[in-house]
Amino acid sequence: MSVSQDAAPAMIRFSNVNKHYGQYHALVDIDASVSKGEVLVVCGPSGSGKSTLIRTVNRLEEIDSGSITFDGREVSGRVGRADLNRLRSRIGFVFQSFNLFPHLSTLENITLSPIRINGVKKDLARTKAMALLDRVGLAEKANAYPAQLSGGQQQRVAIARALAMEPPAMLFDEPTSALDPEMVGEVLAVMKGLAAEGMTMICVTHEMGFAREVADRIWFMDAGRILETADPETFFTNPQHPRAQRFLSDLRH
Amino acid sequence: MIENIVSIVQENWLLLLIGQYPNGPLGGLASTFILSVLSIVLAFPVGILLALARLSPWRAVLWPATAFVYVARGVPLLMLILWVYFMVPLLIGRTVPGFVTMLVTLVLYEAAFLSEIIRAGILALGRGQMEAARSLGHGYFGAMRWVILPQALYNMLPSILSQFVSTIKETTLGYVINVPELTFAANQINNRLLTQPFEVFAILAIVYYVICWSLTKAATTLERRIAAKRAGTRRIAPELRPQALTAEL
Repeated sequence: MSVSQDAAPAMIRFSNVNKHYGQYHALVDIDASVSKGEVLVVCGPSGSGKSTLIRTVNRLEEIDSGSITFDGREVSGRVGRADLNRLRSRIGFVFQSFNLFPHLSTLENITLSPIRINGVKKDLARTKAMALLDRVGLAEKANAYPAQLSGGQQQRVAIARALAMEPPAMLFDEPTSALDPEMVGEVLAVMKGLAAEGMTMICVTHEMGFAREVADRIWFMDAGRILETADPETFFTNPQHPRAQRFLSDLRH
Repeated sequence: MIENIVSIVQENWLLLLIGQYPNGPLGGLASTFILSVLSIVLAFPVGILLALARLSPWRAVLWPATAFVYVARGVPLLMLILWVYFMVPLLIGRTVPGFVTMLVTLVLYEAAFLSEIIRAGILALGRGQMEAARSLGHGYFGAMRWVILPQALYNMLPSILSQFVSTIKETTLGYVINVPELTFAANQINNRLLTQPFEVFAILAIVYYVICWSLTKAATTLERRIAAKRAGTRRIAPELRPQALTAEL
């Protein structure tokens, strides 16, 4: 389900985005966009700015200059507090370290935000949460606490929690990097399902198999820049940028 | 000696329990108990506000809160009591009962200590919880109310409980401004008997010890339960879960 960049309107657009951490230039002139329904994989060596980039979309990181729009609306600059909260509720974010709320059961983790932010009725929120848990294959864990779940299960609950706000786009920040190898598959399967349903996704990941199979496009980043943008086939068989060639060859060894 | 203690208790148990009530103000153990509970209950929300102010990026709230906490923690309680005792009537232009003076002082004093406990609890949670809440669309206070504080307060329950134990012991200082409480009652008895101070104050020590020891014991038990919950080894009874704790906030 390849979506051409020009045909579909942009869901997320970075225009000339720059960010520094002190002296360090973390994002350099990022100028790129993600279309509606597109599945984008961002890859590159650690410290290349991948996580920083997606964290700027919901303003977990502030940018120094440039602008970011989400679904046609300005994210950066002076956005009112209420607008920022509404914006964040429309961008699903999945963390490397899951960040489930340990004091709440699985079901409560998922229903908390729809109930408290969107004012969804408790019964309805529970019904929807159960459907989401079913979708990530964890319906029988509804009453378990995060500490009682494996890493893979926690991450699947975290995805369900983000989906509960019915966001039009999902951002994944290395969702499988903290998992034992045997649990990576179950999380990727959920992500593949989402991609197949047409969710707009940006995935920062080192799972090149997933990238190859699911991504519509790949951004390769290093030192705060997007060095190469390509469809997976081209990227994996014929990368253009020497840094990308080296990165891929390092992965194979 | 033991017989003396028993007979003193037998003759004065009502005074030790409720002071001269109903012929005078409520005193004795009841007064100590009410003073302690009211102090900690009122200090709790103040402590939360102070903790949030101390974590705030705005200097206008950060600096006064920090100054207050430093001063309250840095001076002896007795000095604070005397200060409130002599200054508050001057400021508001009328006398204040000792009980109220003591209550106000304890609330301020305990709030400063509780705020440091709560602040530590919040900081110990790490950034991830706040980020997760904010990324779902919760505002700062929503994230605090539903995600951060329930965890921070729950994790800090043992410390909060031992602060309560300190409060009980600190109510004895009310004696210096004539607050009718347990120590005051014991002293009244001692003044009447004159010859048995050891026995009278032994009774006092035993009562405080039993109360404070049981609360400390409860704190330890709680600590163990929390450790077990963190390890995920047992289901937590609903009444022990943090929502129950913060529901009254």
